[in-house]
Amino acid sequence: MAAHALRRPAGRSRGHPFKRIASSDNFAGWAFVMPAVILIAIFALIPIGWSLLLSLQANNLIAPGHYVGLANYRALFKDHQFRSAIGRTVLYTAIFVPVSVGGALAVAVALNRKIRGIRFYRLAVFVPLVTSTVATGIIFLWLLDPTFGLFNYLLSLVGLPQQQFLQDPNQALYCIIAMTTWGWIGFDVIIYLAALQGIPADLLEAAEMDGASRLSTFRSVVVPLLGPATLFLVVWSTINALQLFDEIYVTTRGGPLGSTTMIVYYLYEQAFQFFNGGYGAAIAYVLFVAILLVTIVQLWIGRRRVYYSS
Amino acid sequence: MKRLVLFLTAGALALAGCGGSSNSNSTSSSGSGTAGGGNVDITLWEGYTETEASAINKLASEFNATHKGITVHVQFYGNNDYALQKVLAAIAGGKPPDISYLYGSWAPNIVANPGIVQLNSLIAQDPSFNWNDFWAAGRRVATVNGKIIGVPALIDNLALVYNKKLFAAAGIAAPTANWTWSEFESAAVKLTNTAHKQFGWAYVNDASEDTVWRYWAMLWQAGGAILTPDGKHAAFNSPAGVKALTLLQTLAQHKSIYLDNGSGNYLGLFTSGHIGMLWTGPWDLANITASKVPYGVQILPGDINHQTISGPDNWVVFNNGSARTKAAWEFLKWLTSPAVDLKWATMTGDLPTRESVTKLPAYKQFVSKYPGVDVWVRNLGNATQSRPVSVLYPKISAVVGEAIQSVLLGRAQPQQALSQAEQQVNGILAAP
Repeated sequence: MAAHALRRPAGRSRGHPFKRIASSDNFAGWAFVMPAVILIAIFALIPIGWSLLLSLQANNLIAPGHYVGLANYRALFKDHQFRSAIGRTVLYTAIFVPVSVGGALAVAVALNRKIRGIRFYRLAVFVPLVTSTVATGIIFLWLLDPTFGLFNYLLSLVGLPQQQFLQDPNQALYCIIAMTTWGWIGFDVIIYLAALQGIPADLLEAAEMDGASRLSTFRSVVVPLLGPATLFLVVWSTINALQLFDEIYVTTRGGPLGSTTMIVYYLYEQAFQFFNGGYGAAIAYVLFVAILLVTIVQLWIGRRRVYYSS
Repeated sequence: MKRLVLFLTAGALALAGCGGSSNSNSTSSSGSGTAGGGNVDITLWEGYTETEASAINKLASEFNATHKGITVHVQFYGNNDYALQKVLAAIAGGKPPDISYLYGSWAPNIVANPGIVQLNSLIAQDPSFNWNDFWAAGRRVATVNGKIIGVPALIDNLALVYNKKLFAAAGIAAPTANWTWSEFESAAVKLTNTAHKQFGWAYVNDASEDTVWRYWAMLWQAGGAILTPDGKHAAFNSPAGVKALTLLQTLAQHKSIYLDNGSGNYLGLFTSGHIGMLWTGPWDLANITASKVPYGVQILPGDINHQTISGPDNWVVFNNGSARTKAAWEFLKWLTSPAVDLKWATMTGDLPTRESVTKLPAYKQFVSKYPGVDVWVRNLGNATQSRPVSVLYPKISAVVGEAIQSVLLGRAQPQQALSQAEQQVNGILAAP
């Protein structure tokens, strides 16, 4: 009791308890975030809870389902198509994350100087990000069309053999990687540009005065100082890559011959084409747990390796 | 990327009954419908756009003006693809529409839902409705295990559309109604010119139902069947099935098929003279006519017959009490009556859903407004078989889609692909 009384700021301790709450800083804070909290609760937390229940049901999303315990999860572990989808998703993520984050660093460094038309270049990098995924998909379908596409035309100009691209089961996944990297790199570049501009000039000056070459300055000063940005981008890109769906949906629809069926696309097929709603929800939960674990590991590594200047 | 997972869960939520449907004023006046003696308000949900949207609204106002005591409110529910989820959410929420447009492929999924009105007794009590006047393909898809769950709202089928100019340039006579597969095949090869990026034919190669249903037409033409008569085993792995898939393989090896990745690029390539022939439905007709490409329409080439495949959709009635069911039935009877059906067809270019429409005097105006459309109408008589009306069909379709795709991409031989697909389909059908 006494401790409680002591914590109270002077001058605010009098009056009706409700007024006290209403005038406290906590209340103002909660009032500001309440609209967001309510929206998140309605559109995220409740569905998350519901899909957990759904994953324990045999439910075709049409008639009321019935509980089947962990049967959906057990079936998942025996499902070789699901296993292949995991393999493809891991391969995609393992290439997409380093390529897009590393590529963004290179682009950001190139854009972080005062040259003519720099605003135009920055805009050019950012435009794909604000272009709708559907539009991007349709454009790439045309660019990569084996007969009428620009890419095969360019190959023919330099005498290289014509490719099937998205229609070749061995190439489609890599085309998707290229397409999504193009589409998402703008975000990474913006983050890196902001981080680059936050590097204190005196550190760079000190390195120069100590006789460090440009390359070693970059390696030993710039890259470590970009650590927090890199960590964020790796975590964020990994989460996005593991949930790849839109680009697949508008281009290959998981094909050809299932070669681009990622985890979430497989989920979509199960839930909305085959009406296995419970099974789809189980896939969503396995993915959710996997993403959670990957993120925890990444953050744990990040905490040990990343240097926070402030 | 996150949206889908959210979508799944949100969909589940809605179906569980928490989703308040976003329908507006007219359904909230549900009390007035059962009040007796007064006006009955009913709601119709549809996903039409452009021409069809204005046509349905026009017809509904015409009905409202001529039928005292019933008022039909037409409501646009957005993309047809999501109609099922919305309707089911509305049933769970206790406020379904009275009538909704639903895809024919959903019929087996909704038949068990107590919210829908089975029309058997209404149809039996009303000889003037003349159920047998609807094209057989439409009736089959609206009937699940003998239960009639809807009235045909749309009926399509596949016919051959060809570019007359390319045919003349290649010195090929126009296709006739007796065209054989070998005539079709040699025309497709002759129309192919790799240097000019010209293809004889186009095939949708995304392994979806779009890939599969064209193949079913060929399977039937060769005398094959999708499933055994009892529906318990796959039957497509037959000499007919292999023959049909071999035709696809041969044309793909000749580079005579433009493989469309599912985005519908084939249409623009046909109208710009890069593709000689299409197997398509009346839905592409408006664009083809508008492009001024000189085209002809013919029924599909055949092997032992010239069967086609049809993809009908339904008007489904939902139970909101007997007064509203009666009013909904009155409206559907009127909407699908031969005279009104012809009006709808003339406004939209959709095929008439009833056979007797072709005998009405004004049918000539419909045909002259949409040159070639009469071939599709006559072709409905060639739609003598339908896909299995089963909740398992989407899984069967996915397996066969991959089999066809593997042959088109040169990854498998027809016999090998079909044997593998047969095994998988039998597994699907045997699962409890």
